[in-house]
Amino acid sequence: MAISVTGHVPLERVYVWQLPVRLAHWALFFSILTLAATGFYIGHPFIDVPGPARDHFVMGTARVIHLYAAIVFTVSLFVRFYWFLVGNRYARLGELIPVTGKRLRNLFKTMMFYSFLRHDPDDYVGHNALAGATYMVIYMVYLLMIGTGLALYTVYASVHSPFQFFGVLTPLFGGLPVARALHHIGMWVILVFVVGHVYFVLLSSIVEQNGTLGSIFSGYKFMPEDEADKP
Amino acid sequence: MNPQGLNEELQRHGLSRRDFLNFCTSMAAVLGLPTTAASAIAAAIEDPARPILVWLEFQDCCGNTESLLRASHPTVADLILDTISLNYHETIMAAAGSQAEAVLKKTVQENQGKYIALVEGSIPTGADGAFCTIGGRAALDIAREVCGGAAATIAVGTCAAFGGLPAAAPNPTGALSVGDAVPGVKNLINLSACPANAENITALVVYYLTMKSLPPLDRYRRPLFAYGSFIHDNCERRGHFDAGQYVEAWGDEAHRHGYCLYKMGCKGPATSQNCPTVKWNEGTNWPVGCGHPCLGCAEPNFWDTMTPFYGRLPNIAGFNVGEWVDPVGLGVAGVAAVAATVHGVAEVARRGGHKSSSNENKKAEPKS
Repeated sequence: MAISVTGHVPLERVYVWQLPVRLAHWALFFSILTLAATGFYIGHPFIDVPGPARDHFVMGTARVIHLYAAIVFTVSLFVRFYWFLVGNRYARLGELIPVTGKRLRNLFKTMMFYSFLRHDPDDYVGHNALAGATYMVIYMVYLLMIGTGLALYTVYASVHSPFQFFGVLTPLFGGLPVARALHHIGMWVILVFVVGHVYFVLLSSIVEQNGTLGSIFSGYKFMPEDEADKP
Repeated sequence: MNPQGLNEELQRHGLSRRDFLNFCTSMAAVLGLPTTAASAIAAAIEDPARPILVWLEFQDCCGNTESLLRASHPTVADLILDTISLNYHETIMAAAGSQAEAVLKKTVQENQGKYIALVEGSIPTGADGAFCTIGGRAALDIAREVCGGAAATIAVGTCAAFGGLPAAAPNPTGALSVGDAVPGVKNLINLSACPANAENITALVVYYLTMKSLPPLDRYRRPLFAYGSFIHDNCERRGHFDAGQYVEAWGDEAHRHGYCLYKMGCKGPATSQNCPTVKWNEGTNWPVGCGHPCLGCAEPNFWDTMTPFYGRLPNIAGFNVGEWVDPVGLGVAGVAAVAATVHGVAEVARRGGHKSSSNENKKAEPKS
C-alpha cells in the first residue's frame, strides 16, 4: 500500500513488529521499571518504619512485588525468545546477531552514522544491526539477572519448592553474595541501556522519519517503497 | 569398651547414668530425631564394636578443637570422643612425638576401612607441602593415607571443608579443602563453620555411631540436620527484616531495639546453619542474638565472598561493590543521558541547513 506522506517520496506502510513482540516489549518495560524500583529499595531500604514490627510488612511487600514482576519479566523474555523462531523476519534471531555481509556492513555504517562519519543512516527496516547486537547483549544481561535472581530466591523458597533446583546456580556465580552483587550491577547496566535505547529510538524517528517511535505501539513503520521490499 | 566399662568411666568422671542419657536425648534433639531415639543412641555409644576416631589437625587455628572442648555437655562429649573413641588427637592427647605418631600408624593399620577420620584445618600443597608437616611428613601425605583408609571422613570447620582463611585469596600456601586435596575420599562430610559448632560435631559422630550411615547431605556435602535452612529463616530478628526495620549504626535506637542487621552487612540470608536454634556456649546466645551480623562463616569461600563483613555487597576483584556500584551506575547513566543530549544537538546542527529527512534526501535523486 503506497501512500504519499510528504508529497516527495512514496512511502509504504510495513508491518514490522507483530503483536507478541510489542506485548513482550511493554511487559518488559513495565516489569523492568517495577523491578528496578523495588530492587533498589531491597538493596537500600530507605523507608523509616516506626512502631512494632507486627504492624508492618514494607520489605515483605517490596519483595513480593519484586517477585511477581520478575515472573512477568521472565515470561515476557521467553515469549520474545520464542518469537526468534516463529516470528516474522524482523523478529528472527538473524536480526540480532550480525553474521551476513549485509548485516555486518549495516553494523559498520550505523557506527559511522552515529560517529558523524556518515551523513545518512544505512537502509534497514526492522532493527539496525548495531541495535540488534546491543539487544542480544542485553538479553544476556537479562538471563544473568534471571539466573542470579533465581539463585537468590532459593533462600526464600520453601524447601519443597521446585525452585530450590536453581540452587545449583549459586556455586557458578561464586556464592550468594556475588550473585547479589551481579544482580545489583546488572540493574545499572539495564538502566544505562534504557537511556541509550530511548535516545536512539528518538534519533531514528526524527532523522529517518520512518515512524520508529510509533512502531512499537502500532507495529507499523513507514518505508520508502524500494527499501521496504528488501529482505 | 562394654556398657559396664562405660558406666565405670562415667563414675570416674563424676557423672551419673542420668547425665549420660540426658546427653543422648539432647543429641537426638540436635539431629531432629524423636526423643525415643535416645535409647538407640545410648546403645550405639555403649556398643563395644563402635568405630574408632582419629582427629587430624593441619593448617588452622585450632578453633575447632577449642570448640569441641567447650561442648555444651563437655564432660560427657569429651568422654565419648576423647577417652573412649578418640585414638589420636595430636593437640590434646597425652602422648607426644614418635609415640603419638606410632598410635596413629597402629590405629590406621589395624582398623583399615573401619575408623572415622576427623580433619581440622586446610591442607597446603605449595612448596611440596612444606608449609605444614607433622613428624616430618607433609599434611597432604598424612591426609591421603589416613582419609584414604577411613570408613568416613568428617571435615571439621571451614578450613577443612572449603579451605577457609588459609585458602583465601591469594592463597599463599596453595591450601585446599580435604575434598579437593584427597579427591575421591570415601563418605566425606563437610561440617563447615568457623569454628564448627561442638553440638554439630558431636551430633554428627553420634548419628554415624547410631545409624551406621551418613546423614542426608546438601550440595556442599554438609548434613541437612545442621545446614538444612538459612540463618535468615530462623532468625529472631526476621520480623524486623520483613517489616523494613533496620539497624543503621552501631548502638543506635534501632540496634538497642533489636532490629534487623541486614544493612550492617548480615550474611544470614546467604548462610546455612542451625545457629539460631542450637546457638553457642551451652545454648546461651549466638552472634545475631547479641547484636552482631552473621559473617557467613559456614559458606564456601566466605573470606573472599562475604567480605567486607559489615557491608551488604561483597568485594569483587578487590573492588568494594557496595561502595561504588550506585555512584558509578548513576554516574554512567548520567553521562549517557548527557552524551545523548550532546549527540542529538550535534545531529540536529549538522542537518540544520536543510530540514529534509534522510529518506527524502536519498530518494530525491533517483526520483527527481
